[in-house]
Amino acid sequence: MSEKAHAASGDDHGHGHGHGDVSPFIQHHYDDAQHQFDSGKFGIWLFLAQEVLFFSALFVAYVLYRYHHPEIYSYAHKYLDVKMGAINTAVLIFSSLTAAWAVRCAQLNQKKGLILCIAVTLGCAMTFLVVKYFEYTHKVHEHILFGRYYDPCVSSGGAELLTKNNNCPGEKTTIEWDYGTAKPTSGCFAAVAIDLDPRAEGIQAQCEVSELAGSIQRDKDNKETFVEKARKPITAQCVDPILEVSTPAGSMPAAGEAAAAKPVYPCWRPAVQPAVCRDGWYFAWRCTGPLCDAESGGDGPYDSLNKCNDARRTMDGKLKSQGTPWIGDCSMGQGAGILVEYNDHAHRPSSSVRIAATCKGPPAPTPVADPLADKAHQLKLGDKGIKPAVTYDKHTQKDRESMGPPPDNTGMFFTIYFAMTGLHGIHVLFGVFVFIWLLIRAVKGHFTPDYFGPIDFAALYWHIVDLIWIFLFPLLYLIH
Amino acid sequence: MATKTTKVRNDGPVNEPDYLNVTKGLKSWLVTLDHKRIGLMYLYGILISLIVGGAFALLVRMELFLPGKTIVDQDTYNKFFTLHGAVMVFLVIIPGIPAALGNIMMPIQLGAPDVAFPKLNLTSFYLWVIGAIMLVVTIPFGGLDTGWTLYTPYSLESKTAVLIATMGVFVLGFSSIFTGLNFLVTIHKFRPQGMGWFQMPLNVWAIYATAIMQVLATPVLGITVLLLSVERFAHIGIFDPTRGGDPVLFQHFFWFYSHPAVYIMIIPAMGVISELISTFSRKPLFGYRFVAYSSVSLALLSFLVWGHHMFVSGQSRLANMVFSALTFSVGIPSAIKVFNWVATLYKGDIRLKTPMLYALSFLIIFTIGGLTGLFLGILSVDVHLHDTYFVVAHFHYVMMGSTLVAFLGALHYWWPKFTGRMYNEQLGKLCAWGVALGFNLTFLPQFVMGSRGMPRRYWDYDAQYTIFHQLSTIGAFVLGISMFTVVVYLMMSWKTGKRAPRNPWGGSSLEWQAPTPPPLYNFEKPPVIHELYNYDDLVEVEEDVWERRAPVDAEPSEVPGDAHAHAKPEAQKKAEADAKAEGDHPEEPTAHPRITPTSEDETKPEHVPGSEDLETKPGRPVATAVEPPDENKEGDK
Repeated sequence: MSEKAHAASGDDHGHGHGHGDVSPFIQHHYDDAQHQFDSGKFGIWLFLAQEVLFFSALFVAYVLYRYHHPEIYSYAHKYLDVKMGAINTAVLIFSSLTAAWAVRCAQLNQKKGLILCIAVTLGCAMTFLVVKYFEYTHKVHEHILFGRYYDPCVSSGGAELLTKNNNCPGEKTTIEWDYGTAKPTSGCFAAVAIDLDPRAEGIQAQCEVSELAGSIQRDKDNKETFVEKARKPITAQCVDPILEVSTPAGSMPAAGEAAAAKPVYPCWRPAVQPAVCRDGWYFAWRCTGPLCDAESGGDGPYDSLNKCNDARRTMDGKLKSQGTPWIGDCSMGQGAGILVEYNDHAHRPSSSVRIAATCKGPPAPTPVADPLADKAHQLKLGDKGIKPAVTYDKHTQKDRESMGPPPDNTGMFFTIYFAMTGLHGIHVLFGVFVFIWLLIRAVKGHFTPDYFGPIDFAALYWHIVDLIWIFLFPLLYLIH
Repeated sequence: MATKTTKVRNDGPVNEPDYLNVTKGLKSWLVTLDHKRIGLMYLYGILISLIVGGAFALLVRMELFLPGKTIVDQDTYNKFFTLHGAVMVFLVIIPGIPAALGNIMMPIQLGAPDVAFPKLNLTSFYLWVIGAIMLVVTIPFGGLDTGWTLYTPYSLESKTAVLIATMGVFVLGFSSIFTGLNFLVTIHKFRPQGMGWFQMPLNVWAIYATAIMQVLATPVLGITVLLLSVERFAHIGIFDPTRGGDPVLFQHFFWFYSHPAVYIMIIPAMGVISELISTFSRKPLFGYRFVAYSSVSLALLSFLVWGHHMFVSGQSRLANMVFSALTFSVGIPSAIKVFNWVATLYKGDIRLKTPMLYALSFLIIFTIGGLTGLFLGILSVDVHLHDTYFVVAHFHYVMMGSTLVAFLGALHYWWPKFTGRMYNEQLGKLCAWGVALGFNLTFLPQFVMGSRGMPRRYWDYDAQYTIFHQLSTIGAFVLGISMFTVVVYLMMSWKTGKRAPRNPWGGSSLEWQAPTPPPLYNFEKPPVIHELYNYDDLVEVEEDVWERRAPVDAEPSEVPGDAHAHAKPEAQKKAEADAKAEGDHPEEPTAHPRITPTSEDETKPEHVPGSEDLETKPGRPVATAVEPPDENKEGDK
């Protein structure tokens, strides 16, 4: 019988079994090679059906979120690199061809052609992964990530800017507020700007911070006045005081203290780390813009003074004994702290924030004579405490400027993007292992026109991986 | 494997070694590719899980014995009912009938030597083991308190070991997918010649329908729990409303799997019941084709009704109405089955053996469970009954009362076949009654208190519900003790049970032609395919020993059968292949000449193998005659 003609025509093959040249890879619970091949083929088709359903949920999620938030999709897809996506598409389509060719080579018993085809397919799979690696690392570098980690830098000009996480230059007018941790999670803003109300767009306040040398003097009514001796502006971030004042040391307060603690609206103030502001020193800041509802209340400019690392003082410079509850009493010495129920009246869910303040005892009695002489405190961007800005590709930065501010929840696009391409990438990676295995077996000469099921099944698997990418590429990269 | 078993064959005594003793030692079990051994290991795993899940159920019921705190606090209670649900659903009733009993019996019922992919079968089993371990290790890692449904957003916030559990469910899902895939291929490609689609036992049909759902629905659960896991550690936001995600999307995905999962549980049970009712009524199953079609149509409909779990989740009114209407359509195939079972019983020669008792209690329980499902499918009524004990009672009637009762029936029915031992019939009947009464005592009161507003999953309750909860708890203990006794006497039967004959119940399907217990490749000779569910020529020669005594006029012609092709000596195979090489087409039925039909006269006496067959593989010698009497074999087994 015309063995080769049969084999080449696809499924109709394997009659050599009856003539005695049985492949050693025909398992004995099958009738013959044909039976084994048919079973495997049906099995792989079922597996592919399973794969389609496995991906289907992600396609449904894509459609659903696209339907509800088209603005996110049309904004965010511009971040994707069409060139790289197109290269990958071409690579995968070509590898599907070589995979199909490998099947034919196996059917025609062309060992060299088989090895070549498998090797090329394998190379294409690896190329795909390398391209994907560059795409992913670029996104990680620029914080174009999923969900809350979407935090790209959008510069409004040449100024060096910081995000709230202190880890990228740039500016973004909309700041995402994470209710769970009560922290701003994304967005960049100018180093000296503070955002009094993250729920409103834009930045509402400016903050100037200075490091001061001086001393507090008490008059006979026990009223305090600060006698300033030196002042030096420092560049510091303005952040949520409740969260940023906390230092890792300290112990939890008694339950009664925690219960007594009143909610405090997150006023903004400079996050002056111990490295910035020295023990025994003071710092002062001045905010303009609407005030937080601290005890003083009211609108207008807001001056405040605080002592570096003096946990007894509240944010507005008052002593603990006068009343704000969010810092523990330091009379106990080291490690006071208090649990604050963070439950303000500004539509935010409550959450517990553990405040731990390290008390270092009374401040040093004599300040340094001339603090400005101390060059170590000439702080600038990039110093410890204020993290260095990552270098930023000017070209991309320009593109970003033209895109304008991102819509809310832009991270959702990248959730879908990373879920779909990530899962697809895992399938490609699995394909790499499969083709390595096939390559080894092909070199050993395991495959004959009588037994080439694994090649055929791997090729089918590879086609579906390719097919899924052919859907992903336009859906994610091309459609506006 | 082939060489190993050939050795055994050559040394072999007159009696084939059965699958239990063909090889020995722990390792021979751990790396076995034999479907019966894998099924038996599944069975043990499932029985252990059943005890674990049952213990949690009893703890839940104990806590609810009195209002307020009875034995544990609220948080612990949440963990109890969650672990009860998760263990029972994912580890017991989903794999129960298909993976354990189906694995053991389905290939034999098909007359096949094994499943299509034995290595994949073993892989499925180990995936099940890994998944089971992951679910159970949540207990030392903080338990699980989300309910087995893992609804977001709570499952994103819960401090318990949700991540381990979801990854466990992911792994279990793939165990289920591979089992389904394996069974589908086996049923498609390993049916013997002469067994068309409508000559398959209904149990095989049911497993076929189940496998479709396992392959097509489970991947959606897989991706869903995968997304949930990623959401938990990377906060991608897909199900988190504070990040723009949609928690209801999780419910849609979850029920897209979990509604078919309910049918993955119940359809194999229905298949088993079809077998039991036919055998123990000695009547062909009424409306065979309808029952077969209804299994498949249930499988297909199961993909279209997931929204009825979400009537109050805020989905659109139109969607509610469509899902409600589709839900009612599920009643049609279910009712077809029940009517056909009852019609089969009518004027049947009913023998109330233990499996039959389970089958009959299944009929009653499933009818109640199915009809109360209609209450919940009605939109207006569901608003009232949603998340009450009415729902709890309804799904326990279907998932526990129907599926586990059918599982127990099937276990008793096939136990003699795959263990070679009879169990204690008196204890069996007693426990069957205990299960039926205990079950109804547990869950009937729950319908009442559910309709009066008792919400599900509550730790505390109003005093007016006390009596119902107490009845329910008492029933649960009757049920638990009965089921535990079943496990105990079945295990004891390995040692003390008397040897089982080849066909203790008068069953007509192929597994009763296989030796008891079956040898490695199931049949010592190719089984003879008789008319399905025809009991006319089956005679009870002594108690619990049935034999086929063919009537003279209906004697099937002497057919040598060309047997399992690969069981033949190579020379003979070659000769045969040469004989039909020309014009041989793979689509012709002769391409897989495993078993020759006997009911028709299109026989092909191609060869008459004789004693020279010693070189053939063990357990698969070639037949010489259609149906020799088996007395001697059964005598010394």
